[in-house]
Amino acid sequence: MIELTQLTKSYNGFTAVDRLTLRVGQGEIFGFIGPNGAGKTTTIKMLGGVLAPTSGSVAVGGIDLQAEPERAKRKIGFIPDRPYLYEKLTGLEFLRFTADIYGVPVSEFQPKATATLEMFGLSDWSNELIESYSHGMKQRLIMASAVLHDPEVLIVDEPMVGLDPLAIIMVKKLFRKLAADGVTIFMSTHTLTVAEDICDRIGIITRGRLIADGTAADLRREANATEADLEQVFLNLTTNGPVAES
Amino acid sequence: MNGLCADIGMLLWPRLLPVLRRGRSRSSRGGGTRLAVLGGVGAAFWCGLFTVAWRVLRYFKGIEDIGDILAFKLLSMILIVCFALLLFSSILTCLSTLYLSRDLLLVHSTPVASHRVFLARWIDSTADSGWMVILFTLPVFLAYGIVFAAGPGYYAATLLSLIVLAASASALSALGVMAGVMLVPAGRMRSIVVILGVLLFVTLYLAIRLSRPEQLVNPEVFDTVMAYVASLQAPVSPLLPSTWAYDSIQSALAGFTAKSLFHTALGASFAVTLICVLTLAADALYFKGFSRTQTASVRLIRRDGISERLFRFLPGPARSFTVKEIKTFLRDQTQWSQLFLIAALVVIYIYNFAALPLERSPIQTAYLQNLLSFLNMALALFVLAAVTARFAYPAVSLEREAFWLVKTSPVSLRTFLRIKFFIYYLPLLVLTEVLIVATNLLLQVTPLMMALSTVTVFFVVPGIVAMGIGLGAAFPDFKAENPAQAVTSFGGLVFMIACALYIGVVVLLEAGPVYWIFMADLHGSALSPAVRLWAASSFAAAFALSILAVVLPLRFGEKRLSRMTI
Repeated sequence: MIELTQLTKSYNGFTAVDRLTLRVGQGEIFGFIGPNGAGKTTTIKMLGGVLAPTSGSVAVGGIDLQAEPERAKRKIGFIPDRPYLYEKLTGLEFLRFTADIYGVPVSEFQPKATATLEMFGLSDWSNELIESYSHGMKQRLIMASAVLHDPEVLIVDEPMVGLDPLAIIMVKKLFRKLAADGVTIFMSTHTLTVAEDICDRIGIITRGRLIADGTAADLRREANATEADLEQVFLNLTTNGPVAES
Repeated sequence: MNGLCADIGMLLWPRLLPVLRRGRSRSSRGGGTRLAVLGGVGAAFWCGLFTVAWRVLRYFKGIEDIGDILAFKLLSMILIVCFALLLFSSILTCLSTLYLSRDLLLVHSTPVASHRVFLARWIDSTADSGWMVILFTLPVFLAYGIVFAAGPGYYAATLLSLIVLAASASALSALGVMAGVMLVPAGRMRSIVVILGVLLFVTLYLAIRLSRPEQLVNPEVFDTVMAYVASLQAPVSPLLPSTWAYDSIQSALAGFTAKSLFHTALGASFAVTLICVLTLAADALYFKGFSRTQTASVRLIRRDGISERLFRFLPGPARSFTVKEIKTFLRDQTQWSQLFLIAALVVIYIYNFAALPLERSPIQTAYLQNLLSFLNMALALFVLAAVTARFAYPAVSLEREAFWLVKTSPVSLRTFLRIKFFIYYLPLLVLTEVLIVATNLLLQVTPLMMALSTVTVFFVVPGIVAMGIGLGAAFPDFKAENPAQAVTSFGGLVFMIACALYIGVVVLLEAGPVYWIFMADLHGSALSPAVRLWAASSFAAAFALSILAVVLPLRFGEKRLSRMTI
């Protein structure tokens, strides 16, 4: 469903993402973890079509994101780590805005919006201006807008930042349900427990290069830490991994 | 005292660093050219101001008896206007710097007393609001010094008086803002102040314009002028800080150093007293006011589903952006003031043509009316360029940091820019056509001129709007606290220059053929084949230029915007 081929991004001679090749299948939840500045957000931005790669390609559902960006983006729901929104719209108006952009039929909008707002606990706030929302509420609204058009792929950067424990549980359940329904989820996170809890597969990136990729058990084996928690595995791989050594 | 200075210095340092490091950061590389262009334009404006002031003062100096009175009256008026400008700009910068800046949350979390935070921010705000007023009034004061052959004491007294005036205005504004924020939240207060300020300006401007000041040069009302000159010598209020600045500068001009020092000291003592009062008030009120600002604002108007219903016929993406743009505009109260300004501009513009004394002109009236109509076309297009600079140019920057929504949406940047273009094109076309048709009706121009100007405007408006949207997209500032000010940036300058060139070329292309066509029409004679060919090629060139003016800026904007990292 998502295919990254030799994906590279360089800025002024600095390579943020280095020849990343990866495939995430339909209905799979892929967790992308790595230290600060490893290239996670750059990768996520290239996947969302926010940033053009220096070389390599991204394909979503078989559609090349560079060649046919509009067609590919129609399949994507994008959730950034920072909830910048149109502050002078209400929550409901913002959902209508995204629904119109993604071509959600007018007749389907109202029931979908009501259900989604209810699911994200925003019903009581739907007619308030976004500028009066808290950080967590804005994050929830972005999630609501990202799933409103039934995307085939969900690209998520740090999904749990700013969310309260109840919302975190809800989001975890939602992601699992979406994956069960065939939605592919590509998420970056710093929270290793979240990655371990919901991801089918985890990739570890450091200095722009993918140094490990597999299930949590695979990663433990690779890090020679079969009994350790993911945090220890992460430390072993990112401080002694092949790239770190070179 | 050392601790106070250290804290204030520490708090001001991060605000000063970006200015000192300008050009050294990765993002601002290549800014040298921009700085040079902006500096060049600023220097040209500064020199222009100096030249105008010098010539006016030399002219005054040459008038016997009342020359000096006029020069000093002008000085007094300049200082009152300066003081008013400083007061008004200080209110806005105080609100931003003291209550609305994004870094305030961090600053208030530091272990520094709130009155010290206040003082640091107030100094910042005073410098912010005062530097431009002082910088651009200096050429006028320089001209005074040269024309009145003043000594070095005059220049020192002037600079000191202006700094004291800026500090007093800023302290008065800060006191007012601090009290105001206790009653109305800062965000709302800024809107109120902007609207009131604009209303005040519009009222004053309308009052002055409608009083027909051009009649002062009419010999029939000369008695009124003499009465006016007599009133020039009436003293202004001795309680105004601008009066103390005036007394100080005027005494220095006349060579009375001691008297000048006395008035400067009077102004300075007032400023210092105000700062002491301000510090005490800040200790009691500033943090409370800042806390109030953190509370969520309440919507003023709740019922509005009109935009959705009105634009239901549009395709999805176009509808979503149009509705969003209109709602965002109408819900931002600071934008309302711009609408008042435009309304006043239209009234004054049309009134100016109604008040033209064409019947007293020595030139043949029909010729003059049509010549004015042609010039009016250019003037209306310049007005359009100014309005476009204020509204269409910042349209892309106004997406702010939510621009990621556009980048991730299944809408191409080309479509996005085209939607933006049409949102602004229609209202701006209507505005310009209203100006042209109304003024042409007042001028009673021939049908030929009416047709020519309305058609020309119809084809030039898209070019100007496209330049606004395209260049605004090419030079966006998504992180600006007030994107509406984007037009004062390098890109805004490029836009204004491009507009001036475009309008100038179109007018030049049309001027020659229009003259011959008009004269033939007036005399009822036929056009020669050469003039026909000239006219056809000129209009075709103007048309081609208008198409290029739409296509090229939008493409340029799209290209630059697609390369932009967010």
